[in-house]
Amino acid sequence: MPVINLGQYQPGETLLHRLDPRVKIIAIVSLSVVIFAAGPAQVTLISIALAAVIGAARLTPARLAEALRPIAFFMALIFLVHLFWTDGRPLLDLTPLPLRVTAEGFFQGAHVTWQFAALVIAAAVLTMTTNPSDLVAGIERLLSPLTRVGLPSQDIAMMIAMALRFVPMLGEEYDRIRMAQMARGADFATGGLSLRIRAATALAIPLLLSAFRRADELALAMEARGYHRGPRTSLRELKLIKTDFAALAVLAVFTLMNFGLEMLL
Amino acid sequence: MILVENLTYRYDREAPIVLNDITLSFAEGAHTALIGPNGCGKTTLIKHLNALLVPSAGKVCVDAMATTDTACLREIRRRVGMVFQNPDSQIVGMTVEEDVAFGPGNLALPPAEIRRRVAESLAMVGMEGQNQRAPHTLSGGEKRLLAIAGVLAMKPRYIAFDEPTAYLAPAGRQRVLEIIRKLHAEGLAIIHIAHDMRDIAGADRAVVMDGGRILLDGTPPEVFAHADALRAVGLDIPGAECR
Repeated sequence: MPVINLGQYQPGETLLHRLDPRVKIIAIVSLSVVIFAAGPAQVTLISIALAAVIGAARLTPARLAEALRPIAFFMALIFLVHLFWTDGRPLLDLTPLPLRVTAEGFFQGAHVTWQFAALVIAAAVLTMTTNPSDLVAGIERLLSPLTRVGLPSQDIAMMIAMALRFVPMLGEEYDRIRMAQMARGADFATGGLSLRIRAATALAIPLLLSAFRRADELALAMEARGYHRGPRTSLRELKLIKTDFAALAVLAVFTLMNFGLEMLL
Repeated sequence: MILVENLTYRYDREAPIVLNDITLSFAEGAHTALIGPNGCGKTTLIKHLNALLVPSAGKVCVDAMATTDTACLREIRRRVGMVFQNPDSQIVGMTVEEDVAFGPGNLALPPAEIRRRVAESLAMVGMEGQNQRAPHTLSGGEKRLLAIAGVLAMKPRYIAFDEPTAYLAPAGRQRVLEIIRKLHAEGLAIIHIAHDMRDIAGADRAVVMDGGRILLDGTPPEVFAHADALRAVGLDIPGAECR
């Protein structure tokens, strides 16, 4: 089956793996803000910090490149749009075409591309160092104060967990249906566009139907095991320890440094 | 004791009757096999035992709690565990241990107690040490064992199994039957829907259903003595083909 390798959890024992998931989620949120607000000076600072974090988590560049691959096309597109359509000092004039490469365009394109890459890498570091169960538990606990204003944080966490559980199951189901149709002579690889679309529809409908049936059965099984709205507990207790507080302090200093740099310059 | 009294069930008012005036009881600690042709209402019957379905007429009481009493719903579901036919659609956790923890978590037990029960239940089905595996990496037999462990973690008094050996290879089938025997030996009441008549050899009671009614009810030898009645509803007696 097609393995979804996008930022998949890499078990390990590093400091980053051991950090409380809530700390890591908070770090990602503040890092996203910092990355979006970053000027040229902060780019270096953030890049160094990211590199340090990746090193500390013992993640190989190859793994991270894998996380970037799905959005590589998008990043290239953004870079080129900025490169050709930004006003400024022209470096290259392609006069018959309405295109001009400018120095400003080059720098701006590079900057925006960096922002995207940095965001995706930061998110990949989170998902690669946090096992999905911890991640869901962390989200649930962070959202729990909002229960008071009517946000069903436990249900949201349950839905995320379900989605993560269902993805590989749907993958298997897809393979099964495809094989069954191929065994009866379906052809997914050749033919014109309309033929291929028809073949894809023939796949999608049974897949959807089976997903709905699964969901029905699952709901029943959850009910049979006492699922209900209201207080539930989990086998994992999240507890912030000294390292977590230290990490939060480092994060606060780092965030302030970035905004301080902004004011100085 | 689970008491089923004059239970009649139809999915809605116009739909045909699925269960027709069924009266029977399941004693604590008993091992009952439920057999019958496809569509005879076995699964519908056991769904009534833990209030997943409630009777259209008649009543079902679990240890004197009526399944229609919503105040008792959680306790009824704790006492009557249910292992469904398709293990794939009853595993909710992202890992083995989390799935087993789902039931106790719904009972709002403290985390330490949940961890204890997870370890105990996994050991009971012989899956200790596999806590962190993802459900989609398990074999069909292992998924079945996980589904059983998930029910055990709620410490039920009764467990209803819906064809627990369906689609299993002989070794997996033996394993599941062994676990069922062990649970019965430890005092749990077992209600076991079986398709393969060989599976009910260990039961101390066999109930044969047909067309939403109870056809026969007795010890397995008593039931097998009615060979003609069984054949008439399409069931074969174990060993008959050798004679």
